[in-house]
Amino acid sequence: MRGARISRWVIALPMTVLALATIYPLVFTVNVAMKTQRDYILDRFSLANALRWDNIASAWTTGGMARYFVNSIIVVLCAVGLLLLFGSMAGFALSHVRFRGSRVLFLVFLAGLFVPFQVIMVPLARTMADSGLIDTYPGLVLAYVAQFLPFTIYLMASYYSGIPTEIVDAARIDGNSLYGVYRRIMLPLGTPALLSIGILDALFCWNDVLIALLMMPSPEHRTLMIGVTSLRGQYSDDIPTFAAGVLIAAVPVLAVYLIFQRQIATAITAGSTKG
Amino acid sequence: MQSARPAPARRADRTAVQPVGSGRTGGPSRRRRPGRDRLAPFVLVAPAILIIVGFRLWPLVLGVNFSFTGDGERDGQSVGLSNYLELWQDPVFRTALRNVGLLVLLLPVAVAIPGLLATFIYLRVPGHRFFRSVYFFPAVLSPVIIGAIFSLLLAADGPLNAILDAVGLGSVDWLGDPKVAMFAVVGVHVWATFGMSLIIFLSGFATLDTTLLDAARADGASTAQVIWHVIIPGLSRTIQFVFVTTMIGMLTSMFGLLFVMTSGGPGGSTYLPEYYIWIQQGQMNRPALASAASTVLFLVMLVVGLAQIGLLRRGLKEQ
Repeated sequence: MRGARISRWVIALPMTVLALATIYPLVFTVNVAMKTQRDYILDRFSLANALRWDNIASAWTTGGMARYFVNSIIVVLCAVGLLLLFGSMAGFALSHVRFRGSRVLFLVFLAGLFVPFQVIMVPLARTMADSGLIDTYPGLVLAYVAQFLPFTIYLMASYYSGIPTEIVDAARIDGNSLYGVYRRIMLPLGTPALLSIGILDALFCWNDVLIALLMMPSPEHRTLMIGVTSLRGQYSDDIPTFAAGVLIAAVPVLAVYLIFQRQIATAITAGSTKG
Repeated sequence: MQSARPAPARRADRTAVQPVGSGRTGGPSRRRRPGRDRLAPFVLVAPAILIIVGFRLWPLVLGVNFSFTGDGERDGQSVGLSNYLELWQDPVFRTALRNVGLLVLLLPVAVAIPGLLATFIYLRVPGHRFFRSVYFFPAVLSPVIIGAIFSLLLAADGPLNAILDAVGLGSVDWLGDPKVAMFAVVGVHVWATFGMSLIIFLSGFATLDTTLLDAARADGASTAQVIWHVIIPGLSRTIQFVFVTTMIGMLTSMFGLLFVMTSGGPGGSTYLPEYYIWIQQGQMNRPALASAASTVLFLVMLVVGLAQIGLLRRGLKEQ
């Protein structure tokens, strides 16, 4: 037993090194963003000598990150709202209501899970262009909803199927319509799932590159992630400002992660462990 | 991460998620109800159905169809297999497929790393809670952000090379040497995503039968023996799941890294099918050729996925 304890400490050492390697790139970026360009060129590793915010300010204004930030917020909020609404409606119907064709529908949703975006992006771009949705906010929102809806439905249905049917039956005997059951029972009871799935969906949309690149060609419609890639060209010899831009895009995600760590892990593992 | 698709998974054979089954008597649908309630379930699923069929399944059909038509002047005309022939003859696409092969070879490593770390965390190494949350954190960052940070760290005159020079190992042109660049990008991808698999492994451990572990311990089994004879067989479904999701992740969520870190270079050495599709569609204006590449990617994913499940099933049965 004592041998096992010592070997655990031996294992903990490389794991600590790995943990540092996991954090260091971000620490490095924060540090660089606080430096002047001269300081960075002279010595990349030394700690910034003061908390300087001018790089962040210039990435935010002249780099255009402010505009991109607002674009991302608008698109992510709309997409997540629709995902949760449609996902919970379908998830409720599929888990608690028996109706004609419900099994087939379930298979259709599952099929949707296994179609990667790369495989459908060309025809999707064409359809979007034909219907005038390319380079518009509704178009990008719709593309995100289509991308993450199968996953959202799947998780909502599996959460709802844990709610006993007796609750639904009782509510219906009390005179509720199915819509009433959805609104008065399922939405409130589903809050924990809506929260954690919503956070995960928000992260997916916020972090996406390919869909935004395809759907939003014009510069003023860039989302934050596309903004980061464009900063790279714009500030190729001003690394501290570029690092500041990266930081602006990363901070909201880090904040969400620190606050909702548990919910994120729950949502990710929900699909993999049951059964 | 547009590494997006973490947990699709074990599908219809799970009673938990199936639509209400036939075994129940007197369920809601058997009762008489007002007319508008008969429509209600269809109203509830209608938006989801329209979106998924219209924007996911139908484009799949369109795309396959599209891959047999021409580009430019021959837009809309049937050209048979000529797009596929062109793909096969394009050295860049061949490199992309070769890189897929490389990913398949590296896959066991990409699964073993989080698996081993999860095992140690499960066995409660000192600081296991801390490790758990630190390791997961890069998984929530966008590939663009990770790619941007690592393009700084790995630059030819960047910090990593400065360290290597200082300790006398000599610098490496991580992103500029065609022989090294793909490994560098895959390495960054693994760094960025191993936390996701780690979490999935840990949730698998939660279902593990602890009496078996205790029995093995009581019989004096070493940690290595416990891992090999108790943990691996007990986690077979989780391992299978992580294999498949890791492969899907490698094939569909490295775009952001490639876009920021290498742009497919140097010399086209870091192309993957998804990047090729993007270039043909977005830059070269060859949508039909891009569709053919999409179809090939889809087939590759099907084959790799099914082959993995088959191999793993057999391998785990033999143990």
